[in-house]
Amino acid sequence: MRNPTISRQHDLEVLRQLLASATHDASAAMCRWTDGLITLSLDEVREIPLEMVCGELCIDDDLLTMVVLSLEGELGGEMILTFDEENGRQLAASLLGREVNEDSEWNELEKSALTETGNILACAYMNAVTRLIDHELVPSAPYFVQDFGASVLQQALMAQALTHDTVLICRTKFHREGEQLNWHVLFVPTDGLRHRMGQTLHANV
Amino acid sequence: MTSCTTTQPSQKQNVGMGQIAVAKAPGLLSSVLGSCVGLALYHPRLKTGALAHIVLPTACGRGALPGKFADTALPHMLAEFSKIGIPREGLVAKIAGGACMFGVSGPLQIGDNNIEAVQNILAQENIRILARDVGGQKGRRVTLDCSTGELLVEIAGTSKKKL
Repeated sequence: MRNPTISRQHDLEVLRQLLASATHDASAAMCRWTDGLITLSLDEVREIPLEMVCGELCIDDDLLTMVVLSLEGELGGEMILTFDEENGRQLAASLLGREVNEDSEWNELEKSALTETGNILACAYMNAVTRLIDHELVPSAPYFVQDFGASVLQQALMAQALTHDTVLICRTKFHREGEQLNWHVLFVPTDGLRHRMGQTLHANV
Repeated sequence: MTSCTTTQPSQKQNVGMGQIAVAKAPGLLSSVLGSCVGLALYHPRLKTGALAHIVLPTACGRGALPGKFADTALPHMLAEFSKIGIPREGLVAKIAGGACMFGVSGPLQIGDNNIEAVQNILAQENIRILARDVGGQKGRRVTLDCSTGELLVEIAGTSKKKL
């Protein structure tokens, strides 16, 4: 089943503009948090068949370090900040002003540095979307997880999978001094939020 | 992409969300699972297996992607087996997945419901569950070896086990 509100390419393009604006705010917050080191930009907004989503996003059986935040309620969704091990460790070390930790286990300080990063990003992103759709979106406390990327993404897709065989995903990419990093933010809105964003777009176009 | 594919022997095929794949020995069928449940059906004498990547418990009339739901996946798997001459008699099942991914307080925890639905439909169809590795809070990578019927389960950050 396809969602006619935003499945058309034109609507996806307008939605891309809305989420690019939110990403811009999140980038400013990230830049402040990392002393100008890291910025981010919108990578893509796509509607993907459920069975193809992990392959299309190149998230399969890689073990990833992730910070997950939920937006509860009908107008909700999931936000996942993903890193590979090396990049996650580097960010934590940079934020803590320490050498990269070589231990296999992440310590509480490192986890805290990443969850706070997720919190800052999500709050900036959701504040921007809140202004655009005129509905308050408050992310949950961040949840640190190390797991298969596809396993975590599946859980984030559940709300959309309840009613659709395609899923809408927004992906953001990160840069350090112009170089793209292997970090991403995946934002998966619920069906209700998809509709609300679609209505907002149509009211403003 | 079709909801059900038949794999050539010696290939390893990834089975995406809502998909079903069938393979003969020595084919391998693999899925990465979170709260989804992997249902492996196997005929030991004919060395043919199928793997469904089940996302939700019930279709409630929605059947566009039969592998997506527990109550439509199993009938579809049996129908696909029938098409290639695999009888119901002798079929055995193994299941894995159904994790509670973001902790018990996380949103839309559907893993337990998926496990229950898959077990119920297998009981209704009188198909024996030989082994299961379900629940918990971690994702799993599962691989069905159609030569042996073994289901290899890898849980993130731990060792592998064979069911």
